[in-house]
Amino acid sequence: MIEIKNLKKHFNGREALKGISLSIKDGEFYGLLGPNGAGKTTTISILSSILNADSGTVSIENFNLNAQSKDIKKIIGVVPQEIALYNELSALDNLLFWGGMYNISNKNLLNRANELLRLFGLEDRKNDKVKSYSGGMKRRVNIAAALLHNPKVLFMDEPTVGIDPQSRNLIFEIVEKLNKEGMTIVYTTHYMEEAEKLCDRIGIIDNGQIIAEGTLDDLKMNSLLKETISITFSNLNDVLTKELSSFWNDLKQIGNIIHFYSSDVKTDLSKLVLKCNQLGLEISNIEILKTNLETIFLNLTGKQLRD
Amino acid sequence: MIKLAIKDLRLFFKDRRSMLLTFAIPIALITLFAFAFGGVGKNDSDTKISLLVSDLDHTDISRNAIQELESLKSLQIKPMSLEKAEKAIKNGDESCVLVIKKGFSDSLTLGGTLPLELKYDEAKGIEVGLLQQSLIPTIAMLPFNLGNSKTMMGNRLSKMAGVSNPKAKQDIRNQSDHLFDAISIGMSENNSPEKKGPATFFFGGDIKMTKLVKSTNNNQLGLLQAVAGTAVMMLLFSVVGIGMGLLDEKQEGTLKRLLYSPMNPINILFGKMLSANIISILQLLVMFVFASLVFGLDIGAHLPGMLITIVATAFACSAFGVLLASFAKNRQQVQGLSTLIILVMSAIGGSMIPLFFMPVFMQKLAVISVNYWSIQGFYDIFWRNLAVTSPTFISRIVVLLLIGGILNLFAILMFKKNILKLT
Repeated sequence: MIEIKNLKKHFNGREALKGISLSIKDGEFYGLLGPNGAGKTTTISILSSILNADSGTVSIENFNLNAQSKDIKKIIGVVPQEIALYNELSALDNLLFWGGMYNISNKNLLNRANELLRLFGLEDRKNDKVKSYSGGMKRRVNIAAALLHNPKVLFMDEPTVGIDPQSRNLIFEIVEKLNKEGMTIVYTTHYMEEAEKLCDRIGIIDNGQIIAEGTLDDLKMNSLLKETISITFSNLNDVLTKELSSFWNDLKQIGNIIHFYSSDVKTDLSKLVLKCNQLGLEISNIEILKTNLETIFLNLTGKQLRD
Repeated sequence: MIKLAIKDLRLFFKDRRSMLLTFAIPIALITLFAFAFGGVGKNDSDTKISLLVSDLDHTDISRNAIQELESLKSLQIKPMSLEKAEKAIKNGDESCVLVIKKGFSDSLTLGGTLPLELKYDEAKGIEVGLLQQSLIPTIAMLPFNLGNSKTMMGNRLSKMAGVSNPKAKQDIRNQSDHLFDAISIGMSENNSPEKKGPATFFFGGDIKMTKLVKSTNNNQLGLLQAVAGTAVMMLLFSVVGIGMGLLDEKQEGTLKRLLYSPMNPINILFGKMLSANIISILQLLVMFVFASLVFGLDIGAHLPGMLITIVATAFACSAFGVLLASFAKNRQQVQGLSTLIILVMSAIGGSMIPLFFMPVFMQKLAVISVNYWSIQGFYDIFWRNLAVTSPTFISRIVVLLLIGGILNLFAILMFKKNILKLT
């Protein structure tokens, strides 16, 4: 169980965290979703005890972060955003080194390192220097290095940045497996597909604040967002746009595309197509945009996730 | 083409590191070398040469002779017992001692060769050579200034001519009286050392030169200077590279990952210090073994002292490298700063130019560099043959360890302040 209450952090007068409160249950896969600079890495840095908060309290597995940081460090694993490995060492040597930081006996460490290398599909190249690996392979070793001591809680800070689809899918499989085996995972990302696919619950963070939290369905429901009928026209002009605006109140024009917001797509779509025909508008494309994290985030913050 | 050149110039003048390497470092080195070499041969008070004087004659004339020497502006006379003086030279604290032997007074009166001996450290040959230049004319003038000069000159000329016949002796004496008067007139007109040539000719100004500390077959001064001086300078460059590993760890994120582990953060720095020390010791060992195998430096007879000096030097130099890395914010900053500091320390500490080439004030300044204490430690062992229990040698080692300790302490503080915060 991770309990965060009113966590605040300033950097040079700028408020990086403005009083974050979260509660993450044991065995939960929790996604922290937000754009760059939202406060995700600051939160992970505080939770992993390498950065002191200005105020607020954190407890992980009933250990208080301020008083028992060493105990917390023993039960958490952290996958940093950057590939933090020694390029001149092999994958096996890297794992043996990083595992050595946790006082694991040599024999157990060697077994565990080999087990993880097998799990991440790197056994064949375990003795090659990491610098000869592809980006995806390095990412896999980067994650394996955080799992050597079998942590109860795993913090993953954007672990799939710049990765190939094959490695990404493998990583998803492994983290899902680890979560099913009982590991609590806190996963920060700005890829909404990852959060949607992996996370039980999602916290949306922006400007150092949690602005929404819950399951994907909760978020959709609470957002009260309408779906979007996006129609591309080949002969749109000002007169015809005016005609459409008087017919449909809730719309937005982006060049020759018009987004019509709808609470009932099935009914509204036929109405719209009929009206367009009456006005002599030539439709070149129709797209239905479903409500997802991207649209929810856009609606909540006015920003794209990748901003 | 012009636009490209203007762009390059703009980039160059905006790059502090390039500016430092292009202008600041050469200016700093020119200044240092100008001080180091420009001072040689000057006779101002800053470049006074220290001369120990041991008076074994204990007569009024010998005491007056010392007073005559004290009047020389280029010398700083320090009366001292012969035993203490020899010890000071062997320890490398002083360059030479002028021994006024028993019978000096009689020789001066009778016109015999003056029983004077200059015992010196061969390593300070240049300083002693300069000292001789000042000393010989004054010694030559002692008979004029202290004794019955006419009689002495006559006696001397007779001895030089090998004349024993009383009549011939008297003839020589008469001629020498005329000559003495002429010299005296000349001297009163031109009382400068350069005009004392005739006196030097007649009274010789001879001093027996004895090397108190000298080269052996295997431990030549030049070889030792080359090995010790270069080894320490190159070690400083190496340890900066090792220290920079700390910044690489920060940049590549491995430092952050180490901080995620339950290990005490300060152990990261201690680990870096330990590896820097081990590599430094190995580097120095390899250099001395190489000098032994290729150039015949006798390390076998000096093994304990050499090892102690190597360990102390490695400790001090490693601390310097780690401190720089803890102090700087990035690799570029360390490179610029370290190049300047190492070159300056090596120049004033005796790695580039042997200290005895430098004026006295530069030699005094040398104590602020790690190079000085380390090179002197190696000199103590290989050149002066001091025992490892010698207070002089121990003092050098203690200073090196203190330097290392203090730099390490600062490195710890800077590591906590800079590195850990910047992760």
